[in-house]
Amino acid sequence: MIDCREAVRRMWAYLDGSLEVSPTEEVEAHLDACQRCCGELEFSRELRSMVAESPGPALPAGVRDRIDQFLGSGHDGG
Amino acid sequence: MLARPFDRIEEVTTAMLEAAQPSDGTWGHVTPDPRTPVRPFAEVVDEHLDRLYGYCVHLCDDRTDAGDLLQDTLVRAMRSFPGLRDPQSVKTWLFTIATNGARDRWRARSRAPATVPMETDDPDDDFSLFATLAIEDPFPYSDELHLDFLRLFGDSDVQAVFAAMTSVFRAPILLTAVHGFSCKGSAAILGVPLGTVLSRLHRGRKQLERGLWEYAVRRRLVTVSDET
Repeated sequence: MIDCREAVRRMWAYLDGSLEVSPTEEVEAHLDACQRCCGELEFSRELRSMVAESPGPALPAGVRDRIDQFLGSGHDGG
Repeated sequence: MLARPFDRIEEVTTAMLEAAQPSDGTWGHVTPDPRTPVRPFAEVVDEHLDRLYGYCVHLCDDRTDAGDLLQDTLVRAMRSFPGLRDPQSVKTWLFTIATNGARDRWRARSRAPATVPMETDDPDDDFSLFATLAIEDPFPYSDELHLDFLRLFGDSDVQAVFAAMTSVFRAPILLTAVHGFSCKGSAAILGVPLGTVLSRLHRGRKQLERGLWEYAVRRRLVTVSDET
């Protein structure tokens, strides 16, 4: 069975669903046996949510105007 | 004289077009390709502009440069728009163009993004925010210690922590957690193997965890026994 260090290493990829079948099963087998890593997984999920919900830098009005001007100037790409 | 291959292809294609052409000639000689996007370019990109700008800010570490990179991305995208075969992949396409555009800008300025050799020891690897919070217990009366810690951070705080991260580790975090790409999709956008993205994602997460903790300590959002 993988240890806590390896389980934590795979955790975000696990949450992302990016692990192959075998590494996923190894993480899940570890989680079945390790309460601490279940807590770490839940915390990772919350941390990811916090990051995901952070709106990021807003598009400044000046840049938006410039882009609108560009997009509206007949550059329809087609 | 034997026909050259492309002569033959042109001949067959022309015959097929003529056979398929309506008798009223409304198609002209162009058969619409069902894979060709039919929505106007401006409409296709509009819904992605805010997110794309945010990504450009993180690529450039500078808001003025980010505006220029965004515009440069749209110019490049507009040029290749007719060749876009899968309208469902617009977001991936735009983010890939922005990433390549940033790379070109770094090259032009002879400035490489901050990189850290993968084989070096990761100073953040042993850091666990989950464990640190349990040990330091900054909210001794809380039933939701870890959630209470995350609730300390407003949007500007999260952005400040992001800004301090190494860009090479920040990118996979942003692409997966913020912009909703899979690790595989992020690998395609960054032009690196999936294994590299997974490694950088882990290191980025550790750097983010340490960044959040140190930010909280520095801003005295938490009280700790030993701030070293």
